[in-house]
This record gives sequence, C-alpha cells and structure tokens, in this order.
Amino acid sequence: MARHRRVTNLEEDKPKLSIAPLIDVCFLLLIYFLVTTTIKQKERDNSMALPSAAPSEAQPDIQPFFIKISNEGHIYANVGAAQELLDTEAQGAERTLPRLDQRLEIYAAAAKAGNNKPLVQVYVEAEAEQQVVSDVLNHLAKHDVTTVTFTDLVVQDDQHE
Amino acid sequence: MSSTKLRAAQEEQDDDTEVDMSPMIDMVFLLLIFFIVNATLIIVEMDKKVQVPIARYSEKQNDKMGRIVVNVYSDEHAGEGRFRMADGKKVFADDEDMMDFIKKEKERWDGNGQKPRLHLRADGKVHFTYVRRVIRAAAAAGINEVIFVSLWSRNN
Repeated sequence: MARHRRVTNLEEDKPKLSIAPLIDVCFLLLIYFLVTTTIKQKERDNSMALPSAAPSEAQPDIQPFFIKISNEGHIYANVGAAQELLDTEAQGAERTLPRLDQRLEIYAAAAKAGNNKPLVQVYVEAEAEQQVVSDVLNHLAKHDVTTVTFTDLVVQDDQHE
Repeated sequence: MSSTKLRAAQEEQDDDTEVDMSPMIDMVFLLLIFFIVNATLIIVEMDKKVQVPIARYSEKQNDKMGRIVVNVYSDEHAGEGRFRMADGKKVFADDEDMMDFIKKEKERWDGNGQKPRLHLRADGKVHFTYVRRVIRAAAAAGINEVIFVSLWSRNN
C-alpha cells in the first residue's frame, strides 16, 4: 500500500517551470544595461549636391555667390578686388558666422525672388580645417542652399602631402 | 454521487487552464534574436576616433541606405592610414584604391535600386585637402551627392 502511494506521488509531481527567477534575472540584466549604457549622440547629415562632379551644359541663370576659406579659417566673400573679409572665427557653441549668415540670407532671398536655385561656389585653401568648412556648409544648409561647387576640384593644388 | 463526480471534473478543468509560459518565452527570444540580427544590417558604423565637426542645421539621418562610408582621420590617428572604410580598419592604399571601392559600392547600391551617396566622416581637425581627395575620388566614381557627417553638439 505504502509503495503504491509513493508511485502516485511521483506522478503528481509534474516538473513546472518556475518563472520568478527568470524575471529576477531579466530585471537584473535590464538594470545592468541601463546603468552601463552611455547614450551615444547620433550623427547627423549635411547633404550637398556637388555639381562639379556632374557638370551640366546649361549655364545657370543666377550669379553664384563666392566664398573663400583661407588656411587660417577666415571666411571671405567674392574674389579679386571685390574680396571682402566676413568672419574670422565661428562664435559660440552654435558656431555661428554672423556676417556670412547675413550675406547668405540676402543672396538666398534674391535667388528665391528671381525663382532661381541659389548657387554657391566655395574655394577652400588646402590647410583649412574641416570644422570651418563644415561651419560654412552649415550656414548654407540653414538658408536651404544645397548646391555647392568646390571650385578647386579641378585644380591640382594638393599634391604636397 | 454524481455531484462529487462533477466537482472532480470541475477541479480537473481548473488544473488545465494554467498557461504554460515556456513556449511564449521561447517565441519572445526568437523574435528578439530575429530583430537584433535584422537591425544590425542597416546600421551605419561610426568609428569614434573620428570626431566629426559640429553643425546646428544638419538633419537627422533618416535613410541609412545607399551610403558609402569613408572615414578621414586627423593627424593624431592618421598613422595607420588617413582614409579608411566604415569599420576604421581597412585602409585605402591610395586614391585609386578608394575610387575603385566607391565605384564597386555604387554599382552594388545601383543594383539594389538605391541612390548611392558618399557618407563622408571627416574629423573636424583634418585639413580640407584630404577631404577634397575623397570628394574627387567619389566624383571620378560618378557620385555627386556628398553627405558631410556632423554632430548637433559635442558633450564632453
């Protein structure tokens, strides 16, 4: 009789999956990852079409705005005798170039009024830092200028490395 | 007699209604693994040795397809190679090599029906002359849309 009872007990002891420790471990892992994670800043786009890479036959209707960036990171407008110093360095955490910004605003408004796509040509000297170039491109993006020509792309001016 | 039988049957039924959690957990893990594997396929790699410049008017990276990543390192990290691929390990031997790579990637994206674009990750301190070489290589490979990668702000 006793032997028979033991057998029935074994049958009743069905193996059950205990969920509680699983949840414990899951929460522990969650907390571990929450604490150890450093939020990485997402990189952003400054997308530009460079028509010099795909030249077109048609002449643009609008006079392009010319910007020069010198080795020292100074920003100039126009070339030759009409060359004019705009900004010498970007200001603040937002890296604004106030005078370039003002000029671009006028130029973009004029282009818009004439129903033209604003065109900008940028001449960058070989040793100018990418951050300064990025500052200029940033201001172009602000005024919805997405067509830029790096005029020196054709000139072989960077053979010295 | 019949009522005790009924009660026994009801008790038995109660026992049956327990939900078995293990297949559900199996399924959840399966789905999790599926999404992890899928998600890694469209991540644009970022080598943290390249400190990209700051630009406030840059846009969110919406479309991650069609990007051909080229890293340009500053003098500090340029020892092993100035121009490298997305992972930061494979170095371009010269401009020709870079152009070949961009051309191949362009053909691959064209075949997939995506518009190929140059995803240019240049360090903020790098001289523009190196950046220009990448743009020139891309132009030679037939790509005229360049994405200058930047950050909204730098939190040190």
